[in-house]
Amino acid sequence: MTLSTFTRLVSLPFRLARLLIWRLLWLCNPLTWIECVTRLWVRWFGLSQHAFVIVNAVRNQRRATLTVLSVAVSCGLLVTVMTLQRELTIPPESESASLRLIARNKVSLAQPLPAKQMPLIEKIPGVVAVSPFTYFGGNFREETITSFAQFAVDPVRFRELIVEGKVTEGDYEDFVRDRTSCFVGKDTMDRYQLKVGDRLKFTGTFYPVDLDLKVAAVYSGTVDDRNVFFHHKLLDELTGDLGTVGTWYVRVASADVANDVITRIDQAFENSSAEVRTETERAFQMSFMSMLGNVKVLTMSISAVVVFTLVLVTVSTMSMAIRERFRELAVLKAIGFQRRELFGFILAESFGLAALGALLGIGGAWLFWSHINLQKLTGGFLIYFEVTPRIMATGGIVAALLGILAAVGPSISVARTSVVEGLKTLD
Amino acid sequence: MAAAPIVVIRDLTKIYRQGDIDVTALAGVSLDITPGEFVVLMGPSGSGKSTLLHIIAGIDQATSGSVKVQGIEVANLNESQLADWRNQNVGFVFQSFNLIPVLTAAENVELPLLLTALNRSERRRQVETALALVGLADRGHHRPDQMSGGQQQRVAIARALVTDPALIVADEPTGNLDAKSASDVLHILQSLSRTAGKTVIMVTHDPKAAVYGTRELHLEKGELVENVSKA
Repeated sequence: MTLSTFTRLVSLPFRLARLLIWRLLWLCNPLTWIECVTRLWVRWFGLSQHAFVIVNAVRNQRRATLTVLSVAVSCGLLVTVMTLQRELTIPPESESASLRLIARNKVSLAQPLPAKQMPLIEKIPGVVAVSPFTYFGGNFREETITSFAQFAVDPVRFRELIVEGKVTEGDYEDFVRDRTSCFVGKDTMDRYQLKVGDRLKFTGTFYPVDLDLKVAAVYSGTVDDRNVFFHHKLLDELTGDLGTVGTWYVRVASADVANDVITRIDQAFENSSAEVRTETERAFQMSFMSMLGNVKVLTMSISAVVVFTLVLVTVSTMSMAIRERFRELAVLKAIGFQRRELFGFILAESFGLAALGALLGIGGAWLFWSHINLQKLTGGFLIYFEVTPRIMATGGIVAALLGILAAVGPSISVARTSVVEGLKTLD
Repeated sequence: MAAAPIVVIRDLTKIYRQGDIDVTALAGVSLDITPGEFVVLMGPSGSGKSTLLHIIAGIDQATSGSVKVQGIEVANLNESQLADWRNQNVGFVFQSFNLIPVLTAAENVELPLLLTALNRSERRRQVETALALVGLADRGHHRPDQMSGGQQQRVAIARALVTDPALIVADEPTGNLDAKSASDVLHILQSLSRTAGKTVIMVTHDPKAAVYGTRELHLEKGELVENVSKA
């Protein structure tokens, strides 16, 4: 056996495997199917300008595939970033949330408010219920960062505030009765596989105290079913009754009186040692999110980079694709095709590739984000990550505009080049 | 009575600007070509023969002078009208075939018919006829890369005549072919002129190819220096 025969025999399985992989990739490529269907169509129904565009678009299948993939990845990323921005800057809103206000210290959210403010707030016309609402900020068990919040509340008053929440396990009365118990969101119960009666231990980070709470009841149906609520009295006991609260959680009678109540609460404590700033729950959440940094600018910057990259990819690909067909386009001109028809060919090709990429990218992002356990993936940081039709449409419009933009340059070149100049170009 | 000329050229001048220098490609060329003629344009490189062919075919513009094809002043047509006119009246054959590689022979031939009002079956019939005329009726489903140079050029001829144009222009159609294929192509062009009554204008360097024509025109430095009719 010669050396070359031996080498050939040894490399045979690798060559077969490579061939098989390439064949599989070829078969899985949507462009392969598009081309096959078009060829069959042409064979049965004859050549048409549409079919001509399609066979031209996929003539260099590797390049077309890479272009579609790059557009798909970019569109997927764009949609993801836009969804992230939406989730971080526009918190989900419920009807009940629009009736809730949060009053905090005007100086800073970190500054507490005196507990004695509550009777004054309760007396303001339009106020239905008020509860202290103090962020504890503890770490659960051995965690170093806990993604769900714990709030100290007045359990009796709090019931009037969280009206959309439904008790799914346990009894709310047990929570009211037991000062060391807590009221836990279903998402947190599911995530940590907890049951009613279990004990939850939190290590304080804002407060120099730890909590040991018993799960009394479970709620769901709110916009954020992760939070843990416990007795403010317990916090007062543990901290030595500082006589302060973090914020006030207020429910108003109707959305019509919300603005009036906001003004009245703020005015009630004007020129006092603890001036108050009141805002709707939604506005409060948004200002809270803004503490993460200017999320909008960050995500917009990432989106701009993605779109810019997308422009470069599509424009350079289309330019290359058309440049190598200059002579063919000159022949088409010579045999009677007009500039507008050639522009149509280039535009359709560019638009088609961008549209296919957008379809795969946006559709893929939608499928991915709607089928994964995001709460688990982000450690509870994000619960909702809805790729809305509006975001998908925006991604689609961006891809369509890119497709059109990528066709402009090559079309101008083709239009400017005379048939004779075009025929002189090398293949 | 002699037939009216299909191509009438008077005082045709073409001046190219190359940087700061004006280069005269054609200097006052005048000639008539009658229908059914097989005119061979000869001359050294840079003599203006291809320029003359391009202007007659409406893919280049003269600096001055007049070119009338079938009584139409080509220079008076706008770009859109010119494109339509070329589609209906001129068939092109190029030196390097210039077929679309992703289309089969039949699809390449069908391409100019996409601009016409013909329906699918009419288009198919014309394609089959054109391919049969060049002896490639059985190669319609082959792609250009599956055919020899001679066969590709015959497909190009079929594409040129599928719209039944009065004028066929061929720019060195045998330049890339072996002797046998060149002879086949020239025979086809000759037969188009003789039997189908097409007017063929061919540019060539090859004196052997010129033998197939009915008239030889020699150009030098943009001027017509010899006009030899063999009829």
